[in-house]
Amino acid sequence: MTLTYTILIILWLSLIAYAVLGGADFGGGIWDFFAFGPQAERQRRLIGQALGPVWEANHVWLIFLIVGLFTAFPLAFSVLSTALFVPFTLAVIGIVMRGAAFMFRGQADDATTSRRIWGRVFSTASTITPFFFGAAAAAVASGQVHVEGGRVQTDLLAGWTTPFALTIGALALSLCAVLAAVNLIVEAQNSNDAELVEAFRRRAMIAGAITLALDVVAFILSPFQAPLLWHGALDHALPLISATALIGLGAAASLFLRRYRLARILAFTVTAFIFASWGLSQFPYLVPVAVTISNASSPPSTLLALLIGTSIGMALLLPSLWFLFHVFKGKHPALSVQEQAADPASTQH
Amino acid sequence: MSDLLAARAQMGTSLAFHIIFASLGVGLPLLLCIAEGLALWHKDSGWMTLTRRWTKAFALLFAIGAVSGTILSFEIGLLWPTFTRFSGAIIGLPFALEGFAFFIEAIFLGLYLYGWERLSPRAHWLCSFPLWISGAASAWFIVSANSWMNTPVGFQITHGQVTGINPLQAILNPSTPYETTHMLLAAYVAAGFGVAAVYAVQILRGRREAYFRKGLLLAMALGAIAIPFQIFDGDLSARSLATLQPAKLAAMEGVFHTEQGAPIKIGGIVDDKTGQVLFALEIPDLLSILAKGDPHATITGLDAYAPQDRPDPFFVHPSFDGMVGSGFFLLFIGGVFWLLYFRRKRVVPENRLLLWAIVLSGPLSFLAIELGWMVTELGRQPWVIYGILRTQDAVTTTPGLDISFLVFTGIYVVLAITLTVLLLRLARSPLPKQEWPVLASSSDEEVETK
Repeated sequence: MTLTYTILIILWLSLIAYAVLGGADFGGGIWDFFAFGPQAERQRRLIGQALGPVWEANHVWLIFLIVGLFTAFPLAFSVLSTALFVPFTLAVIGIVMRGAAFMFRGQADDATTSRRIWGRVFSTASTITPFFFGAAAAAVASGQVHVEGGRVQTDLLAGWTTPFALTIGALALSLCAVLAAVNLIVEAQNSNDAELVEAFRRRAMIAGAITLALDVVAFILSPFQAPLLWHGALDHALPLISATALIGLGAAASLFLRRYRLARILAFTVTAFIFASWGLSQFPYLVPVAVTISNASSPPSTLLALLIGTSIGMALLLPSLWFLFHVFKGKHPALSVQEQAADPASTQH
Repeated sequence: MSDLLAARAQMGTSLAFHIIFASLGVGLPLLLCIAEGLALWHKDSGWMTLTRRWTKAFALLFAIGAVSGTILSFEIGLLWPTFTRFSGAIIGLPFALEGFAFFIEAIFLGLYLYGWERLSPRAHWLCSFPLWISGAASAWFIVSANSWMNTPVGFQITHGQVTGINPLQAILNPSTPYETTHMLLAAYVAAGFGVAAVYAVQILRGRREAYFRKGLLLAMALGAIAIPFQIFDGDLSARSLATLQPAKLAAMEGVFHTEQGAPIKIGGIVDDKTGQVLFALEIPDLLSILAKGDPHATITGLDAYAPQDRPDPFFVHPSFDGMVGSGFFLLFIGGVFWLLYFRRKRVVPENRLLLWAIVLSGPLSFLAIELGWMVTELGRQPWVIYGILRTQDAVTTTPGLDISFLVFTGIYVVLAITLTVLLLRLARSPLPKQEWPVLASSSDEEVETK
């Protein structure tokens, strides 16, 4: 069982990485949607800069999560894919259109119709994926995925269209917006654009307030619509949930006090804690109450091979990932290479 | 449309779409690596301009490959949940390893695309190595999973339960060496001839700058080096089927009845009802010689299998012949090109007929990949896991699959049209007039506008 839990924790961490990093990228699309007025073009450019080098890498956390679930918990993967066919299909359409439109927009000339159209597709598609993943997650957490006599219930709208699931979908969306806004504040700081810092600070606070309101709604709904999650939370996730609330407050306070780097770290942390709380609340179920961790788990030979493969993979991956973020997300006050190139002494060789 | 047919149509369309970008994702980074290496070595702005151009095109192609690959990773579960449930523990591992390889490719792509001014020229070039290495690795892993579907090993079934799972044995199943090599080489062949076709068009249009000749030369080098290996490997691959999957070989060659001294049938129309291949060119004994090295060897026909276990040769046979024919055409064109090049003392041949043939070889090399996958996939039917799980038993019970098929097909059409327009625009945009130092290390925007 230790092996099973180790793999499960790795997968859950990947889910968190996708939620935080991928979420901030989707949130960028949401702010692209709401960009208007004289600053709009500058905001869009900042969003484009923030996403450009990293969105494809951030997206792969999802791929890793899917193939990991397929390998380690094939029953869960199979049940989820069958029961949540519609929200997953819509989320995938969002992923495809977001990615493609982002690249298409980037290659189109400024101020052309095709750039405007693909920009719209990019921002609209960015809202689709978080919403439907959120609603699908809520369907799982609230025990709405039913398996009867070995057959998964395939009512197309079942589970993910309840008030609770729709609230969680909206919550996922607003959380992405918060993550993107705090990230864009730091990006704007790095490009020394004080106006955009203020603009995204305002947006982060608005999105934060909406997230809080949706949290309250979900909290009120959960005893009726997600009793298992509710009881699990009260039973064994209460300390974690309290910590989540405190970190959330901390994020809001540091945003208010203009401690932006701290705010970004805390916003990312609070997202991680939300997912950890969810996981702990529905323990020991993978898909409550149809699939438990132990009855979905692949045999030890598979899990061991996956663990070894993952260890080797991570040993290559994590340094590369660090390098990527170091190059693009660190402070680059002066682009040293470019200066060298402009300096005749260093090029005449 | 039945749900099974809709699911197969959606999966097939998705794979046919994705494989184009996946192949370029494997092949183009190698071209980038060589071109940028030559640029840095010779301090040559022509090679560097090529690198810059290819990078722009590659950025688009890779993104489409990444998102269409995401569709596939979901579709395995959405369309074939019984398959995933059965096979996840056995063959999930190469998918996970492919995930890592793809992850590394995506990371270094970010560095490569956006790192021109943040990395030194040498560091930038070094980033192209993990790109092509992880590209090749991801192709290897994912094709090993497909190989397992053709020759499933690494597990036992006792009392209806899967036991004794050995994921390593599953990855290294008997088909893996043949299929993985064949696909990797196919990717290099297609990237080579695909890129060569672009420059052949430009030269035919009268563009005479050194830039176009360099593009044509490097691409033709990759394509022409890969194609003989590919044909040799294809022969090994087909021969392996005589023992591993005789039903598939029978479908490929239109062999309805088990016979000694089987002829090879080139082309023709397969008539399922009469069990004949009409209008085919027949060469006696050749199939027995090719498959088993003996003119009197027995070749298993489709009649050795129960009707419900036979693949339908109607598409498999012409697909196979189309693939092989394309391969030999590419070999011929590659050979003629290099023969002329060396006989004319290293001058790029500008014979119009040859250039037109190179233009044709671009699409043909991708057509060969599509047809090859048709052979592999349709030739495995009616099984999704050969001899273990039938395709009809693996499909989801979710209703409304035909709508899903239509929606995704619509998406692919929109993406394909937009991508084509953008790539054509990119090819037509004027070349930047640049001196070496600026090209080597500045952002793309500056190169275009300065």
